[in-house]
Amino acid sequence: MGLNETAKALEGLQTADTIAKKLWISKRTAVNIIWKLRKKGLVETGYGKRKIRIYKISRIKKPDLGYKGLYEVINKNSRLKIFAKEAHRIHDHKLTIEEAIVRAVETGDFRTILAALGLFNKVKNWSSLLWYAKKAGATRKVGALYDAAKNSMKVRKMDERTRKALKKGKTKERYIIKNIKSKDFKDIENEWNVHIPFNKADLEVYKE
Amino acid sequence: MINITGQNELFKLIGAKLEQKAECLAIGGSAMMFYGAKTETKDVDLVFIDKKPFDAVKKALFEIGFDEKKNIKVIFAHYEIAKNKPIIMEGMETRFDLFLNEVISFKITPAILDRIKEVHEFGNLIIKIISPEDIILLKCATERKKDRNDAASLIGKFDIDWEIIIKESIRQTEIGQDIFPVYLFDFLYELKEDFKIDVPKDVIKKVRKIGEKMMEDRLSSGEIIKVTKFKTK
Repeated sequence: MGLNETAKALEGLQTADTIAKKLWISKRTAVNIIWKLRKKGLVETGYGKRKIRIYKISRIKKPDLGYKGLYEVINKNSRLKIFAKEAHRIHDHKLTIEEAIVRAVETGDFRTILAALGLFNKVKNWSSLLWYAKKAGATRKVGALYDAAKNSMKVRKMDERTRKALKKGKTKERYIIKNIKSKDFKDIENEWNVHIPFNKADLEVYKE
Repeated sequence: MINITGQNELFKLIGAKLEQKAECLAIGGSAMMFYGAKTETKDVDLVFIDKKPFDAVKKALFEIGFDEKKNIKVIFAHYEIAKNKPIIMEGMETRFDLFLNEVISFKITPAILDRIKEVHEFGNLIIKIISPEDIILLKCATERKKDRNDAASLIGKFDIDWEIIIKESIRQTEIGQDIFPVYLFDFLYELKEDFKIDVPKDVIKKVRKIGEKMMEDRLSSGEIIKVTKFKTK
């Protein structure tokens, strides 16, 4: 069986054991096949629990285009992972953590915003976050989400200057996600004049 | 001919020229290059849902040295009667075909948008890549040999969901004039017989039945049946 046919037969997620079973070969030979497929750029390796290697085998070597998109940045940096329906790539610049937070707010998607809260712990440049938030007209939303995140997880400390500047922003739309309000974060909602789309229970996932 | 690097450099340039976000769909060879199923293409085909980004991209292309080709009759004879005529922009030894809402007689449906697999951002230019199934269906409406080669390449490289193709061909027939299952039957039969491509027999049989039924229905209702494919250069 040629390598292309092997890749066709194994397409999808595999472990060394499942490959060995499928091709009626030893685990050692399966590892060799994975090595050959990887050399051709047809294998991506991920890790499951207990460091079990999971191989994503494809028939076609996809060109590595552009930089990581929003979902990849979130999945790489947040404890909460999201499944994206479509692959997203950015070609003209590298997406920073700060821009990713603001973009996540702009999606208006519950799961994306919830997962993006985990990025507050990775913010390095608060003035950059402020710049992107201002550009998107989402300064108060970003500030409120930061406070909500601070309540439930470890986050980097926001400097006072950024905090004050975020508060100065105008509120065009009070809802981060249309018609969703919080029952638990009333104080934060009042302080920032926007509605937080989460309750404390939603943020429990970060404590697990 | 243009390869993926050249194409993406042009997209970046267009994206930088645009003042507002413009979304479009990449189809044909351009989409195949994003999937790694083709190394170069003759023209870059983009479909727009709205008129505003369509005009904006046309303007951006003009500003980076592309000129509009006025005589499109030779390339797309069918568009003499079409409402939304495509725009062809030529320059830098490349051709951009810009379509609005439909390609030949193939309309962009919500189901096609739902099947989009990849989104690529080039500054303000956002390119969405249609699924391999939709690329194949689009190619079945032409009679070019290179389209058969492209479809053969896609079928060989991807796990094609034939049900998606069949359903979309029915949907296209419902919303348009052409009986797509007839084109599809011809196309798949040719791929199997002449190109020796592994198209499941039951798929061809199913498409044939659907096509025959649709033709009978149209004949009995006294409608004109259009079964001529589009010969494009």
